[in-house]
Amino acid sequence: MPDFVGVPSTRSLRLGIAGPVGTGKSSLIALICREMADELSLGVITNDIYTDEDARFLRSAGVLDPERIRAVETGACPHTAIRDDVTANLIAVEDLESDFAPMDVVLVESGGDNLTATFSPALVDAQIFVLDVAGGGDVARKGGPGIGRADLLVVNKTDLAPYVGVDVAQMVADGRAARDGRPVLALSRLDRESIDGLTAWVRSVLVSFRSGDHVAVDPGPMAPHFHAGEDGAPLPHVHDGSQPHTHAHP
Amino acid sequence: MPPPAALINFDRAHDRAGFGTDGTEIDPIMSATADPVTSGSAELMLMLLSDARLPTGAHTQSAGLEPALNAGMLPHDVPRYITARLRTVATVEAGAAVVARYLSLGPDPVSGLTMVDRAWRARTISPALRETSVLLGRGYQRLVSRLWPDHPAVEALRSQRQPSRAVVLGVAAACTGLAPAQLARLIGYDEAQTIAAAALKVAPLDPVDATAWVIGAQPAINEMTASVAGLTDPDEIPAFGAPLIEQWAQIHSITTQRLFRA
Repeated sequence: MPDFVGVPSTRSLRLGIAGPVGTGKSSLIALICREMADELSLGVITNDIYTDEDARFLRSAGVLDPERIRAVETGACPHTAIRDDVTANLIAVEDLESDFAPMDVVLVESGGDNLTATFSPALVDAQIFVLDVAGGGDVARKGGPGIGRADLLVVNKTDLAPYVGVDVAQMVADGRAARDGRPVLALSRLDRESIDGLTAWVRSVLVSFRSGDHVAVDPGPMAPHFHAGEDGAPLPHVHDGSQPHTHAHP
Repeated sequence: MPPPAALINFDRAHDRAGFGTDGTEIDPIMSATADPVTSGSAELMLMLLSDARLPTGAHTQSAGLEPALNAGMLPHDVPRYITARLRTVATVEAGAAVVARYLSLGPDPVSGLTMVDRAWRARTISPALRETSVLLGRGYQRLVSRLWPDHPAVEALRSQRQPSRAVVLGVAAACTGLAPAQLARLIGYDEAQTIAAAALKVAPLDPVDATAWVIGAQPAINEMTASVAGLTDPDEIPAFGAPLIEQWAQIHSITTQRLFRA
């Protein structure tokens, strides 16, 4: 463990990668590293519940100097480490930034959780939410804070769509409908055009971050949801601050 | 008619806490001149430091409870486990923290903290326990370094390579104006509460029972506090070993399917 040296003067773009378990977060990070390590100084923080398995996977992929890949063990609550108490992750990011200054982008992989797990803006400047076609064509329609308001929604493994009976175009359309104009990217590691789309997005966020124009957005801790109203009828609403909140949450 | 005595005392405390000698408002937390006891800031800081919402990354910890249960200890023995920790490893840690607090406020805080850290390590045989302590220490170090960057104790802490949690908490107590007994009690309470809260995640229990265990640990916490609150010399730090706790910590450090890091 390195010595504590405080907040480095050179601050990287901190990019979070969230999404359910098995959707391809680690592979997406490996892809970004393989495509961009020559043009950008990159670092990776992985979050695992039990082990440093994701960090070992990325080191063995040979896409980045192993010293630039660090693991944070989150214990039984991966959600807490990216939202409620981001200390362990912030320390790991700050260590990387000072050990390899100046660093352009630090990718932070969440431990994988359900659809409501998103990064706090206290930890990352921007975030990608990753779904995959194999998880079901209807997931994008189900919505949630990551699907609705992450900076980029990736629909991953599109090459598998014919085998799992999913209509990629429909899934992307569902995602767009849930996102109010925010970008959606259909990605396959076998589709060159989609990979170029991913790297172009990362570059555009970096430019925006460096210009000072980028504003970190909190996708929000809770998905739009229903409560029974006073008359027993459903009372749908969103916690986005757009309307005053008039009922208590248990 | 003169104001009632209580009001005078309140006004004095208020003056010391909130205003400089020239009458301008000052930050009661950041001010070195405010008396932390009369202003109530020490009490508030003690609450802050013992709050699970404090951003230090401590939610990954069970204070050795998960390894103990994995090794066959039964859930109904958790209260005895709390007592055992308070009488051994927690006493060592609290003793080291109290001495670190004292020396970090003295003329040579750098060598003071170095000596305390060395003394704590010499009394903590298990590498896994030392590693856990360093990890937790970093969370608190990030906190105090950002909140009190110019405090002499924090400057001295910056010179330490991988300080133990005991040393960092000693510095935190120096920054927040905690008395030695408050610091020791904080460590005792944190020990009991960490174990009780972790028990709920690894064994089927009623949360109220777990809370009762923390209350039940009060005599042991106070006993431990009384035994270390007056320490000022690194050589006086107690050296109680807990071989099973150390062995379980070692086993846990290489266990793959663990809910808690330690």
